Amino acid sequence: MKKVVIGFLGTILDRRGKSNRWESWRPSVSVCQHEELLVDRFHLLCSRRDESLASQIKADLEMVSPETKVIVEHLEFKNPWDFEEVFSGLLSYSQQFDFREDEEYLLHITTGTHVTQICMFLLTEAGFFPGMLLQTGPGRHNSPPGSYEIIDLDLSRYDSIARRFAIQTGDDISFLKSGIQTRNVSFNQLIAEVERVTVRSDAPILLAGPTGAGKSRLARQIYELRRQHSKVSGRFVEVNCATLRGDMAMSVLFGHKKGAYTGATESREGLLKAADNGILFLDEIGELGLDEQAMLLRAVEEKLYLPVGSDKEIRSNFQLITGTNRNLKQECRSGRFRQDLLARIKFWEFTLPGLKERPEDIEPNIDYELQLHSQNLGKPVSFSSEARAAYIKFANSFEAHWVANFRDLNSSLARMITLSDGNRIGLADVRIEIERLRREWRNEDEKDSEAHLVGLLKPEQIAELDLFDRLQLNTVLEICKNSANMAEASRKLFAGSLQKKRSTNDSDRLRKYLQRFGISSKEIF
Amino acid sequence: MIRIDGSQGEGGGQILRTALALSACTGKALLIENIRAKRKKPGLMRQHLSCVHATQRICAAKVEGDAISSQTLRFEPGQIKSGDYHFAVGSAGSAMLVLQTVLPQLLLAEGQSQLVLEGGTHNPMSPTFHYINEVFMPVLAKIGFACSCEIEQWGFYPAGGGRVRVTVNPSIADSLKKLDLCSPGRLTSSSVLAAVAKIPWEIAEDECNTIVNAARFEVTQKKAISVDSPGPGNVAMLRLDFEHCPAMFTGFGELGVSRKKVAASVYREANHFYKSSAAIDPHLADQILLPMALAGGGSFTTMEPTEHTRTNMKVIELFLPVSHEFSQIDAKLWKIQISAA
Repeated sequence: MKKVVIGFLGTILDRRGKSNRWESWRPSVSVCQHEELLVDRFHLLCSRRDESLASQIKADLEMVSPETKVIVEHLEFKNPWDFEEVFSGLLSYSQQFDFREDEEYLLHITTGTHVTQICMFLLTEAGFFPGMLLQTGPGRHNSPPGSYEIIDLDLSRYDSIARRFAIQTGDDISFLKSGIQTRNVSFNQLIAEVERVTVRSDAPILLAGPTGAGKSRLARQIYELRRQHSKVSGRFVEVNCATLRGDMAMSVLFGHKKGAYTGATESREGLLKAADNGILFLDEIGELGLDEQAMLLRAVEEKLYLPVGSDKEIRSNFQLITGTNRNLKQECRSGRFRQDLLARIKFWEFTLPGLKERPEDIEPNIDYELQLHSQNLGKPVSFSSEARAAYIKFANSFEAHWVANFRDLNSSLARMITLSDGNRIGLADVRIEIERLRREWRNEDEKDSEAHLVGLLKPEQIAELDLFDRLQLNTVLEICKNSANMAEASRKLFAGSLQKKRSTNDSDRLRKYLQRFGISSKEIF
Repeated sequence: MIRIDGSQGEGGGQILRTALALSACTGKALLIENIRAKRKKPGLMRQHLSCVHATQRICAAKVEGDAISSQTLRFEPGQIKSGDYHFAVGSAGSAMLVLQTVLPQLLLAEGQSQLVLEGGTHNPMSPTFHYINEVFMPVLAKIGFACSCEIEQWGFYPAGGGRVRVTVNPSIADSLKKLDLCSPGRLTSSSVLAAVAKIPWEIAEDECNTIVNAARFEVTQKKAISVDSPGPGNVAMLRLDFEHCPAMFTGFGELGVSRKKVAASVYREANHFYKSSAAIDPHLADQILLPMALAGGGSFTTMEPTEHTRTNMKVIELFLPVSHEFSQIDAKLWKIQISAA
């Protein structure tokens, strides 16, 4: 790779008299006096006025560096302090210059006016000069050859600068995790991706995942991070769509005009407007009604919508984050969710794993919660070491269902802290809590085991059933509900015997089974 | 292929120059690694590249790794070709070091060669033109090598711009003699020459006087001159002509170094040497090893062998069928024996 230097003749610094010039540091000459810097070509830019100085410098350069070919080029500026003139002059010079792939270019910025230095910098930074900056200095003794530095404006090449960027990114990632030192690899990758999106994009984000996986907290942290990076100036507005039912939904979201309907005694701004220049987080978006979905789609696409009872469109520039624990694709198929809205809101889609999928993060989350409680209580809260071991063992066991994920974990910790003596959770506290959790999750299992019985049978009847019958009947009913008619249900239920003996009267068999519990087929199909 | 670890010994450019010269002389390919590995700026610098490329031109070598900062060099020499050559060297590298590198192969070449060398002729840390002309070449002549040089213009660091002409005549292999320089003989005369360029002549005169007064022997000739050179410079050289062999000691003037100091660096070294009763001065000991090995051997006395000298011996033994032996005769005197292995 050949090295080519492009630089201005230093009309003051390069001019150091005749006989004693070698004793002084001259920037242009010094470029070629370094033992480890071999310059193959030097484009020396100067005005015709400085012809004689230029030829002296050329001769001196060629003497100290016979390897270097010096080309004196004339570049005239009426006023070398005029930014516009110098910039356009240098721009034209760069455009007519024959830059080659096999040459490396160094732009010497020590000579020339400040304006030429600035212009060289700008043109190099913008890539018109495909090279690096060369800065020379007289060194400590003000004698040749002095020192030089090559400055690459590609900042990513500097370790310490890159490290600072990395630290900033690391800080951001840690911020998104609320400072929790999570260890789960795929979760950490997910958050790193969220971080990049947060810093660079304002497109809608869909946060999927089971209840209690931390969607709401993450949405809030995304907002805070964007605010820190000055990407948003407005508020963070959060609403759970499950709470928006009926006529109120439209009004809460989009606002209404005074007198729009009975009881609308005042105009209302609506949450979309409240989130102007900020972030609107709609949790449980799958619960939103179809009318509201249509309105929201327009508001997301065009940033415009019509408040209830108004004929004047309102503009709100908000970033939309949505949360869901439902499978929205399925909701679309069944017609409960608009396909076009889904396509819109899942520009960035992240699925947060449940607690059971990232068991290695249970411990850091416990520490985080303890720290939070310590702050709130104003005194340190901790586990005894055996209590901690017992709790963590249980938390990671197959027994721990963590149905509501982090919500379960947090309430569990809160309970133990409340009940513990002297803010130190002991083994006894943990044992009680483990029992409580077992009971809670068993109940939920049981509730599931009779979900289909409720409604068809009276509670007394359910209570009378043997567990054996209860479980069997519940499953049979579940299959019936997912089938179109008695025939389809019995085909599924008796598929095995059907193959063997080609019996055709399975519907009758099912009917009779149900009758035993006093359930008629009309009640189901 | 001869492999050399360039970081051994003093680990500088001298290993490279000796190895290049030997590779060209013997036709053996060379792989040198870790070039100047322990230096602040490791690898090949411009002055080293000048030597590589000059040698390459004369023996039509295939070269790999000849780039700034490269720490590995592969050098496959071809046929040495005598003729006219012109080498220009950047200011920091002495033209005399390039001469030192290319001279051995030209001495072995079939025809006569004319060299023009441009750059520094009197640079610190390398032999000066006067050293080559008045000490090195006369000793070469004793071995049977015929060459001569003359200066057209002086070149000092940092400007350089000197110019030297060298004539190298082919030598007859059978007529090369094994030198035996174990006693210097009588000091027949000694002369001091101080030169200045673009600085007051009085400086040179002061240096001469200081040296003459401080020398432990009689300095028979004294000359202070002002020379023409593109840049400023100052050098003081004291030659001791013994019956069997000359020796020379040199001091360089530079900005911020007083003329007294320049003179002192010359007479101190000269006095040490004079007292040691060695035949060959430490610098010549370094340089003469290679020509003596080419001639098949010899012996001489000198002062304590430097790291430079020891490294040179090791490199020479890799290329040529010779072995070196050194023995201490007394506190300041050593004998070096080069014999065919």
